[in-house]
Amino acid sequence: MRLVRLTGSAVWYPVLWAILWGALSCFSNAALSQPAKTEPRKTIRLAFPAAETGFDPPRVSDYYSNTVNEAIFERLLTYDYLARPARLAPMTAETLPEVTDGGKTYTFKIRSGIQFHPEPAFGGKPRELTAADYVYSFKRILDPKVRSPWAFMIEGKIIGLDALAATEKQTGKYDYDTDVEGLRALDRYTLQIRLLEPDYNFNYIAAHTPFSAVAREVVEKYGNDTMAHPVGTGPYVLKQWTRGARIVLEKNPEYRGMAWDFAVSEDVDAELVRIMQGKRLPLIDRVEISIIEEEQSSWLAFKRNELDFSGVGSFRSEVFDEKGEMRPAWREQGVKAIRAIDPELTYTFFNFRDPTVGGFEKEKLALRRAIIMAYNREEEIEVIRKGQAVLATMPIPVGVVGHDPRYKPLNTYNPALANKLLDSFGFKRGKNGFRTMPDGSPLLLKYATGTTSLDRQFNELWKKAMDVIGVRIEFQPGKFSDNLKAAKACQLQMWGSAWIADYPDGDNFVQLLYGPNTGQSNNGCYESKAFDALYEASRKLPDSPERNHLFLEMTRQMEVDGAWVLGVSRERNTLIRPWVLGYKKHPVMNATWIYLDIDPAKAP
Amino acid sequence: MAERLHSFEAAAVPEKRGGGFWSLAWQRFRDDRIGVSSLVIVAAFFIMVLLSALGVIAGNWNKEVGIHDAPPDLWGLLTPAVPEAVGNAAQRAAQTMEKTQSMEALPPSTVVDPLAETLVRLRGEDDALPENRIMDPLAETLRSLGADDKTLTVEKEKRASLPFGGDRWGRDVLEKTVKGSQTSIIVGLSAALLATLLGTLLGALAGYYGGRADDVLNWVYNVFSAIPYLLLILAVAAVLQQRGVMTVILILGLTGWTGVFRLIRAEYIKHRGREYVQAAHAFGVPDRRILFSHILPNVSHVVLVKVSLLAVGFIKAEVILSFLGFGVAVDEVSWGSMLNDAQRELILGKWWELAAAGGAMALLVTAFSLLTDAMRDALDPKIRVAP
Amino acid sequence: MTAYIVRRLLQMIPTMLGVVLLLFVLFNWVGGDPAYILAGKISSEAQIANIRHQLGVDRPAYVQIGIFLKQIVTADFGASWSTNEPVSDILKTRLGPSLTVLVPLLVLGTLLAIALSLVVARFRRTLTDRMVMVACTVGMSISILVYIIVFQYVFAFRLGWFPVQGWGDSLWTNLATYAALPILIGLCVGLAPDLRLFRSFMLDEIEQDYVRTARAKGLSETRILWVHVLRNASIPIVTYVMAALPGLLVGAFLIERFFSIPGIGREVLLAVERSDFPVIKAITVYVAVATMFANLAADLIYKAVDPRVELK
Repeated sequence: MRLVRLTGSAVWYPVLWAILWGALSCFSNAALSQPAKTEPRKTIRLAFPAAETGFDPPRVSDYYSNTVNEAIFERLLTYDYLARPARLAPMTAETLPEVTDGGKTYTFKIRSGIQFHPEPAFGGKPRELTAADYVYSFKRILDPKVRSPWAFMIEGKIIGLDALAATEKQTGKYDYDTDVEGLRALDRYTLQIRLLEPDYNFNYIAAHTPFSAVAREVVEKYGNDTMAHPVGTGPYVLKQWTRGARIVLEKNPEYRGMAWDFAVSEDVDAELVRIMQGKRLPLIDRVEISIIEEEQSSWLAFKRNELDFSGVGSFRSEVFDEKGEMRPAWREQGVKAIRAIDPELTYTFFNFRDPTVGGFEKEKLALRRAIIMAYNREEEIEVIRKGQAVLATMPIPVGVVGHDPRYKPLNTYNPALANKLLDSFGFKRGKNGFRTMPDGSPLLLKYATGTTSLDRQFNELWKKAMDVIGVRIEFQPGKFSDNLKAAKACQLQMWGSAWIADYPDGDNFVQLLYGPNTGQSNNGCYESKAFDALYEASRKLPDSPERNHLFLEMTRQMEVDGAWVLGVSRERNTLIRPWVLGYKKHPVMNATWIYLDIDPAKAP
Repeated sequence: MAERLHSFEAAAVPEKRGGGFWSLAWQRFRDDRIGVSSLVIVAAFFIMVLLSALGVIAGNWNKEVGIHDAPPDLWGLLTPAVPEAVGNAAQRAAQTMEKTQSMEALPPSTVVDPLAETLVRLRGEDDALPENRIMDPLAETLRSLGADDKTLTVEKEKRASLPFGGDRWGRDVLEKTVKGSQTSIIVGLSAALLATLLGTLLGALAGYYGGRADDVLNWVYNVFSAIPYLLLILAVAAVLQQRGVMTVILILGLTGWTGVFRLIRAEYIKHRGREYVQAAHAFGVPDRRILFSHILPNVSHVVLVKVSLLAVGFIKAEVILSFLGFGVAVDEVSWGSMLNDAQRELILGKWWELAAAGGAMALLVTAFSLLTDAMRDALDPKIRVAP
Repeated sequence: MTAYIVRRLLQMIPTMLGVVLLLFVLFNWVGGDPAYILAGKISSEAQIANIRHQLGVDRPAYVQIGIFLKQIVTADFGASWSTNEPVSDILKTRLGPSLTVLVPLLVLGTLLAIALSLVVARFRRTLTDRMVMVACTVGMSISILVYIIVFQYVFAFRLGWFPVQGWGDSLWTNLATYAALPILIGLCVGLAPDLRLFRSFMLDEIEQDYVRTARAKGLSETRILWVHVLRNASIPIVTYVMAALPGLLVGAFLIERFFSIPGIGREVLLAVERSDFPVIKAITVYVAVATMFANLAADLIYKAVDPRVELK
């Protein structure tokens, strides 16, 4: 009977539940909004579209973990917030380093009095940042146990450091106490780095987030679990971390602080300078980052005021009209749109070792260039990118040293010409409308792709383009890691990739085409003697007109060879709520919250 | 647990059935008005699938007949086609050109550009490439082919609106939905048949023979059903690599057979002890015939119901597979691929693709499920209770 | 009884071995090489080899399977390959959110389905029965993807009844605000199949002799249903619900992704994407164990309640 009574009321139970639920939600909403006032006043809420991996600078390679690390840890150098093109500025160093020995010796003077955030590993004592911390942190990059994805940036560059890694192979021990000739703390605050070859880009490396200072005590205390225990000298500390869901940063009370002091570089900067100049940073007390993978979810969250920042993504036409003007409904809300073209490039490579599309024979050149001419990037931008991208004309994108807006590309969209070109080289059309190779063997492109709906859109576009020139194309979806593995082994015929600048210099891009980088970053396995000669010549030059000229020649060479289907550089539209002050998109830095302020009068 | 249910039902079915069993069932079915109307709807879908498979209808689903995101308008076919609207790729190209030109027209800078001369050469003289340090082996050919002929493909006439609207490339959503029905229904049915075939075969063997065979097959069943379905699907999808209708069928069929196995195995265990089986055995009828000619017809109604339940489930599962990126290939269309394409468009007010695919699917699945119910009731008189 | 339980427990061992083998084969064959993800965008062969060595994926298969088995026995799956976090920590943090959605969903769904199925059984073969069944079937026939997209847009965004997405720190906040819409969607999708099943359980029971006896005694139809039928039908219902839980744990990934709920399903997708084998292993093993025990428990309850059921 008891069972009966219990279940007898089953009809009403859900109803009661619902009422209870409603009451509860009202109550908790009220309860929620109450403590919000006692919480830190200035909070910024933003979303990442992909999960982070962790917060140990040399260990992580993903964009989002790097972004968080950028705010927690400090580099020797950083970038000027306003200057465009991006310009380096000192961070923990007093000034830019002294470069001597024809670009082979870099000497950094570190500011005294910079403290790490307190941490039990320091034994309760204040812990000052010294040159030795950078020696340690740089050594860590090459420690095989750390397996840093950034090792390539200093591998084979610093005198004696590679030898240290080599000894590990024999002894199994990577000894941090071994003196390395090219990496020394001359005194408490002086760091000297000596290179094997002149490298005019080394300052960019010193400004790169993975090369931040970490404290040896902390790393040794947490061993394998450093990802969850970031301890740095930067303006923010990790307050709360729900892996793959939520990251909360708070102002580091120990941070030395800095003044907002930047010079106008572009017209739009004047307003920023007027509002922000002289303010003591950081002003934002708390940064709340949610991981929202689905675009619809994060967009609606922004529109519902659950976020202060948002990209525009697929929803561009909701915000901007055909002319690119913001629609009145958005203007009325005071939402500001910041547009910037990312220092990045998308491209599809051809595998030069592939029997179908590879090789330097004239008809292969023709095949590749016909394919390039048939692919409609305008439509890619219009339909897939929703108008938020610009055509890439060179392998060096806009905003990166070496890009020349006046360069006129060779292989422009022209399917009619592509068809004629294929005809003239004997790629005959069969009965089914598809072409064969000149020797009569079948012609089939195999395009590696991913599994997202965006990938699908690209495949649709590629299919359309290839149908026009009668080239049969097949798509082979795979996981990113599988595709990468196959690409490095020169086994993918074609694959679309993107490259985001590690530092805003053309060298970071053209190295993707350098023959000896095959198996590392040159996934198309493009080995052109002419190109390699040009590249090697450019390595020996600092940023100069001569080097820019070489970049142009390299571009022409890769176009002639049809090495890549150049893609686009994506335009990033960032929408910000009216109470967020001082924002400007930086091409390299991502964690720019430190430079922001919130206008409490406008805040909700 | 659904399996348990079926075994309850099946238990009461008389094992010896005259030819009258099916005709009785049909009579019962005819009285079920919901069942009959469901049957009509499902039949209509099947005819549509047949016509579309034969290419009679929806043959042009892949043609871009309308402008990008053409809005729905039932009279759309009556409005005249227009040349591709401005504000698209062509205009953008013009803008880019304009931008480049205005850049070149900047007032002379005081900065000396040592590259200026090179750049003039690079810029204006495609035809004079031999002067460039970079040799272009194709320069001669391209010139003879008329590289200067900048005419792009002739602009086609596009419709400003379509009866059910257009997708992002301007393809007709109505045709896509029809073609998508074909793919989705074929996927659902074939995968259900595959899963049922597998499950029935293994279940029959395990149930009939028992002993070692049962142990082994049961073990396989246990292993398959212990691994989370999502992981199983992801793994099988990764093994199969290629994309296409066939792959989707295989993924669903190979992972979905366990329910049938359990059900059929229980049925065979029950039947193997029955007199008619013992008798056949005594007469020396080969096992193969006992398994599939004697017992199978007696459990076929269970199988039939299971097939249609699975088909409904798989049609829905195809959407999830598409979401996970394991849907049909690029030159095919299914309800799943349409829903995933349209995922972000609702917010932009472009509801038609989502509505068309989602509505068509809801209609078919509802009809199919109700048909299954009616079928089950008709085949299983025991359930029918006088009020 | 004890002997039976012991035998069933022993039977789990070969099943577990099978799971291990299948998982190992599938994910080593097709799971992608984690080294290429961890190595970053530019890597040399030496770095790849170094990473593979550290992860232990360069060892012979039997050694790796041996390690896997040891991990199962010790319930220690080591650290995630991509984040270095202990796998047990990952699962601990993920289980809570998953259950916060699933338990209320399951409880509400079951109670609603029971109530409705009794109503439907009471009015079986009448218009009410038909209407409820058709309505539920329509509800079930709409793709969950459509539900999520439309409900998120309409109820969370347009009407503002729920937050669009997110997850808080306190159980009550989560239950009251963030989990509400996901649970509603879960009900729409899941109610109809449950209702159909429960309805057939009820109809099954109505056929039994005791119902006839009760009717003969002159008990009211309502009483017969709500007392006698329900009592007996509750057995298959309870076992069904128990058996459903482990599968749901991973199956809610779509909801978890759209509503940014840090649950197990989302973690599975992430782990597969990153080829994070330790996480995949751990989740599979735990779900497999949970499935096996849920099945065993279901069978035992059966036995306990209905002695006629033969355990073999």
